[in-house]
Amino acid sequence: MSKVVDIHNLTKSYGKDIAVKDVSFSIESNKICGLLGRNGAGKTTIMHMITAQLFPTSGDLKIFDERPYENRDVLNKICFIKESQKYPPNFCVHDVLEVAATLFPNWDQRFAKRLLKDFNLPRKRRIKKLSRGMLSSVGIIIGLASRAPLTIFDEPYLGLDAVARNLFYNHLIEDYADHPRTILLSTHLIDEVSKILEQVMVIDKGELIINEEADSLRGSAYAVAGLATKVDAFIQGKKVINKPHSLGGFTSAVIMDTPKFEDRKQADLLGLNITSVSIQELIVHLTGGNSQGKAVELQ
Amino acid sequence: MNPAINVMKMHFKEKWSWFFAPWIILLSSFLINLFVGYLTSGDEPIYTGGLCSIFAYMLVLGIVTLTHMFHFAIGLSVRRNDFYLGTSGMFFVVSAGIAVLLLLFAFFETTSGGWGVQLHFFHLPYLNDGSLIEQFLLYFVAMLNMFFLGFMVSSIYQRFGQYGLFVFFGALLVLFSCGTFLCTYYGWWMDVFHWIGQHTAFGLSMWTLPFLVIYIIVSYLFIRRTTV
Repeated sequence: MSKVVDIHNLTKSYGKDIAVKDVSFSIESNKICGLLGRNGAGKTTIMHMITAQLFPTSGDLKIFDERPYENRDVLNKICFIKESQKYPPNFCVHDVLEVAATLFPNWDQRFAKRLLKDFNLPRKRRIKKLSRGMLSSVGIIIGLASRAPLTIFDEPYLGLDAVARNLFYNHLIEDYADHPRTILLSTHLIDEVSKILEQVMVIDKGELIINEEADSLRGSAYAVAGLATKVDAFIQGKKVINKPHSLGGFTSAVIMDTPKFEDRKQADLLGLNITSVSIQELIVHLTGGNSQGKAVELQ
Repeated sequence: MNPAINVMKMHFKEKWSWFFAPWIILLSSFLINLFVGYLTSGDEPIYTGGLCSIFAYMLVLGIVTLTHMFHFAIGLSVRRNDFYLGTSGMFFVVSAGIAVLLLLFAFFETTSGGWGVQLHFFHLPYLNDGSLIEQFLLYFVAMLNMFFLGFMVSSIYQRFGQYGLFVFFGALLVLFSCGTFLCTYYGWWMDVFHWIGQHTAFGLSMWTLPFLVIYIIVSYLFIRRTTV
């Protein structure tokens, strides 16, 4: 399979601040990938560089085997929907969609109309009069209806409720099945998207710390819970990725490994419970520990 | 379709800023003058500089259009080059259109004897002295100067932020101060005014062409390196 995104040692720094540090990864065509991480980890910066809206400080970046900067052939194949996208304030919703229709070669007007209806967007409302959620819907409609070979969504659903988000996921999956393309999705709502992701990349403090198939990531860690003393005995020599703290004598540890038969047996003997760890929990533990867990759950 | 044309179409959708607002401003100024003309029952000829308003407006539009449209267009995968070409194309088309309309109004003004009240709003002495082609070029070039000056100032801001604008205007201030000082010190003022006075309005507008070229080149170079 050909590589749609191919990044080598990509670095972006602002003076002494390093926003993205020596990141390398590639994405094959027709995959749904998640770029996950905390706020300010560098996800948006990477996406901006992929679309040549920002310039890398160093490193190599090829999109569809070419450099994206001022490259019409490459840019035509990309649709980048970001949370901070600005629209001309006097434009109506349909003005924005008409412009998008002229700019994206694969644009599907009928699909756009259907989405407009599904998301309940008033066609004639001016952009400056839209609520935050409606503005997000405009971006989502452009992202889906453009059917760009590389579609990038950066936190696309700020202000959208669970119903609208579900609508987005359903349309995304449905349309992806009919018109396969490469989708790069960045979000806080890891649990919601983890089931549709095929590849997961996690950025922490500008560095890529995980780049795995979602399936292998799902089974790559487990939690063990029970009496603190027993847990302590169990985790000897194992790779624990959280900071276990005991509560009334009980504690729970997350171990970066697939539980083997002996592990299960040992846990049984010690009276400990082994549970699976979701991708969201795993990422929370890997990128900042317990305090961050709350922040992510609240999102 | 050529992407630059698509950018022009995008600008065309912003009808209010490009087509309605400037004429509402200009024509309301005109109507006020006309009203004054009727109050004085046309006894005294009225000369007014209300025409300036449309030029000032276009300077502002040159600034605003970059901030409003650039992020939008780049966000929708438009090349900087195409954005620049399309926006410049829009400047040329609109400048030509305004020049033609202004000449039409001037024509009506002269044939109607200053709208019946000796009002000189669109047809002014000195400014409209030349041939029709010269008058057209004068308006056209003046309008382009406004657009691209605004565009350049805005591109400095987009590229270098507030600090860039600060340096730019600081440098401009120093340059002007030095210039006026030198003129005073060496007693050049009379020569300067004499030089200006010996040119027709059209001739002077042609002397702004080098500036226009500078605006065009500088704004292009900055936009090519502007990030979102």
